Amino acid sequence: MSQTLRPPRNYRRGLRETIVEGLRYSGGVGQRSWLIHRITGLGVLAFLVIHIIDTFFVVAYPALYDHTVAIYGGVVSGLGAPFDGYYWPLRWLFRVAELGLIACVLFHSVNGVRVVLFDFWPRAVSIQKQIYTTVIVIFWAVMIPVTIWVLLPLLGPPAHAMPKVGLDAPAPILGLADISRLG
Amino acid sequence: MSTRAAQFGGRKVRPAGGFELTAWFFMRISGLLLVFLALGHLFITHILNNVESINYAFVASRWAHPKHGYIWRLWDLTMICLAVIHGFNGLRQVLDEYVVHPGRRVIAHTLIWSACIFLLGLGSYAILQFKADQEYIDKWKAEHHVASATAPIETGASVLAGD
Repeated sequence: MSQTLRPPRNYRRGLRETIVEGLRYSGGVGQRSWLIHRITGLGVLAFLVIHIIDTFFVVAYPALYDHTVAIYGGVVSGLGAPFDGYYWPLRWLFRVAELGLIACVLFHSVNGVRVVLFDFWPRAVSIQKQIYTTVIVIFWAVMIPVTIWVLLPLLGPPAHAMPKVGLDAPAPILGLADISRLG
Repeated sequence: MSTRAAQFGGRKVRPAGGFELTAWFFMRISGLLLVFLALGHLFITHILNNVESINYAFVASRWAHPKHGYIWRLWDLTMICLAVIHGFNGLRQVLDEYVVHPGRRVIAHTLIWSACIFLLGLGSYAILQFKADQEYIDKWKAEHHVASATAPIETGASVLAGD
């Protein structure tokens, strides 16, 4: 009989196998939490890189730091007359991203404690489903009030102190009209 | 080890020794410390304060505080060292599962540890060399027509009260 299968060393995974098999761990609860742990970890790392660079501005260039955090609050400056101003979609975008960051750090923390628990107390594996449920309960018990607290300010005008809106300041082209309150 | 792995459903177990075992312990110890450091940091910056109240003056009110500025600097320095190494070692472990070619792995590791050292330098420099620029804060306050540039951390209660 002739051998029809190629030897394993000649087998190369295609794109689909690379993705599907690359995300596979052992299936079930373990696989799901492992995948979320990995994705949230990479997400937090990506933010950490940005956050170290923007915080470096406090030493290098204070005005650039204030300019940057103002963008996080939806206020654009330095581009010139027609573009400077407050953009509410920008503020909303950064608020939702902020919430996503909090969710990533929170899940990675609580699930990380679960991983460490199994490493130093292997017997806990016998109740691993209950422990995973506890992780999910803690996550949502913290995340629901935090979501309300972080998103609620979006209903009001921005708290970010802005340059006084007057004859010498460019008028905002988008967003809430009554920001003069902040002036 | 194999029986233990089989018993616990193929879960990864502690490496036998060497660098990987050191990394294994580091990930767990730094992770447990970061639960308090990072979540505490998020609570102060996103719950007691928020991105709209944080600015240069807020950073100065913490890092350059005459009484407990050193505590905030120590907190942030510890957090940055642990978080950057924890994060980049995590990235290395993820990439090691996808990058198996030895040459490519050397390139990946070189890039990861270079970025790690660069960011540690950048962050530590900012924390240790920071000096509050009072002239800039006063100018900012005058331009923005506000009496106080920021709500300092000890008046977090007033932020909670919506003051």
